[in-house]
Amino acid sequence: MLFLLACLAIPLCNVVMLSFYRHSANRIWVPQFTLDNYQALSGIYFISLGLRTLKVGVITTCFCILLGYPVAYYFARAGRRALVFGMFVLFMPLMVSAVVGAFGWIVILGRNGILNSALKALHFDFQVQILYSEIAVVIALVNLLLPMMVLPLMASIEKIPRRLEEVAVNLGASPLLTFWRVVIPLSMPGLISGSLLCFTIAISAVVTPRLLGGNGSRMIGTEIYEQVVTAYNWPFASSLAVVLVAIIVFTLFVSFAAERGRRQRAVRERR
Amino acid sequence: MAVEAISKTPARIGLEVRDLVRRYSADVVVGPISFAVNEGEFFSVLGPSGCGKTTLLRCIAGFERVDSGAIALGGARIEDVPPHKRGIGLVFQTPALFPHLTVAQNVAFGLETHKIERRKARQRVGAILALVGLSEYGERMPNQLSGGQQQRVALARSLVLEPPLLLLDEPLSSLDLKLRVQMREELRSLQRRLRKTTIFVTHDQTEALALSDRIAVLSQGRIEQVGTPEEIYRTPTSRFVADFIGNSNLLEAEILGIDNGVAKLRTRTGLRFTTHKTAAGVSGRRVTLLIRPERMQIGAGASNGANADNTFAATLTDVTYLGEDIQYRLLVGGVETLLYTCKAAGAGGGLALHQNLSVHIDPSDVFVIAD
Repeated sequence: MLFLLACLAIPLCNVVMLSFYRHSANRIWVPQFTLDNYQALSGIYFISLGLRTLKVGVITTCFCILLGYPVAYYFARAGRRALVFGMFVLFMPLMVSAVVGAFGWIVILGRNGILNSALKALHFDFQVQILYSEIAVVIALVNLLLPMMVLPLMASIEKIPRRLEEVAVNLGASPLLTFWRVVIPLSMPGLISGSLLCFTIAISAVVTPRLLGGNGSRMIGTEIYEQVVTAYNWPFASSLAVVLVAIIVFTLFVSFAAERGRRQRAVRERR
Repeated sequence: MAVEAISKTPARIGLEVRDLVRRYSADVVVGPISFAVNEGEFFSVLGPSGCGKTTLLRCIAGFERVDSGAIALGGARIEDVPPHKRGIGLVFQTPALFPHLTVAQNVAFGLETHKIERRKARQRVGAILALVGLSEYGERMPNQLSGGQQQRVALARSLVLEPPLLLLDEPLSSLDLKLRVQMREELRSLQRRLRKTTIFVTHDQTEALALSDRIAVLSQGRIEQVGTPEEIYRTPTSRFVADFIGNSNLLEAEILGIDNGVAKLRTRTGLRFTTHKTAAGVSGRRVTLLIRPERMQIGAGASNGANADNTFAATLTDVTYLGEDIQYRLLVGGVETLLYTCKAAGAGGGLALHQNLSVHIDPSDVFVIAD
């Protein structure tokens, strides 16, 4: 346990330390304290980079929720055989590396890819240009992260007695209203942890946006990669990394606070 | 008088089930079944587990497809109406309250789905909670209530919608004995007050006998007998019903002859019985005799009138003390073992093992069941 903690803390401290060092063109960094790396972040380029990252994260999470709920519900309520098959299909994207997954989407979404060939074959006289855009990144991320949403949701939904849904229906609620009034509120813990997983993994994605996103849709992760590998500006890369970690920690904090608030409200209502 | 005239009009039918059949793959689980429940009646469906009674209830509530046959509520066919539009109240074995809603919100749930105006809804919730004696508990969460209170909330949640029909699926079975008896009485008085057409499913004959206006005994998906609790207990029409309801001595016998409404029978073991309760039967027919253990008369000492009808010499072979009652096992006529029960405090309370006795059964207490 302590060893694991050390494995996490030491590199992280190193990154934080590095983010306050001065960049040097020939020695990568010199150990002089400076806030330059953080001041550089306030530029319009990096603000929009951060906002774009958050946007991709939020949109990806929303689509994961929209697609994940029906899937999770179906698996949670389906028989054993459907479950095994469904899990296999769902986990395919996790079993191949993100690189291979992204390449698959290049083949599908590319200018002469499967999608455009299909459109041509069906005599549509337009072609879609979604490769190297945010849309492609979101599609691939949703594909990659859907299991992260489905698993915790499924675990939550499985715990909801089916009888509660029957009661709601018996009291006049349509299946859709039952889902809204019973299934969603009672699977809130799964929804929160699933969203947390999707969002944090999505905003720290590197491979997917780098391969599918093109220049106009860089994210924090790809920028860190560029700064480390291409620009050799490790101190600045570190400051970006610190910001990313800060966003993730903040998200965790907010969602835990929300969950605690929900519990406390429930307790208050009991009095 | 006008009031008399109204009460004498034939009872209106609340729910009618006609030739209902429900299959799982090839197996018939329920049916074909037909029965009618009068308006305001407390109708029980009684049967052992696995007899299809819950499936029948789920068919009426709409949670199970009906393979063939018809269900009519107040004269209107409902078997193709989706469950959330049937408006039939259903209370399950477990209270199944929504854990994320307060008691009042639970009760208001159905009013919201029916888009009842908020102020009116609040009044109705208050009124129904008062009816089940939980006025003070509206703001509590379900897990802060006892099992009995939760079940009352579940009942209130159904009743607040004023359903034309209330289905109860063993609603008392999750409670412990003492509470069950108390809730049973509450349920009965509530039903009497509201005159709500009610179908009560149970495997507990005591509950069914205590609560019902009429009982349908179900076995293997079919109705064995429909009747008032007394009819079911006193004059079962099949061996299954006789065996299932109450304790019973069942003897295989053959009709020797019927004369002037009095039948002579001989059991397979050779005992001869006389009965006034002759179901339509002919000489030579194989039938089952039913003798209720509490309808036998015991005399101390060897019988002096051994030649009288239905009087036999007997030996006491086993005693089971049941608190209020005492149950004896008698070897009658040296060939047949019969159960005999009586009040422990009564005259038969102090019989000793291996004591020689005489047993008499009144001819009107020997029932003939033609299978």
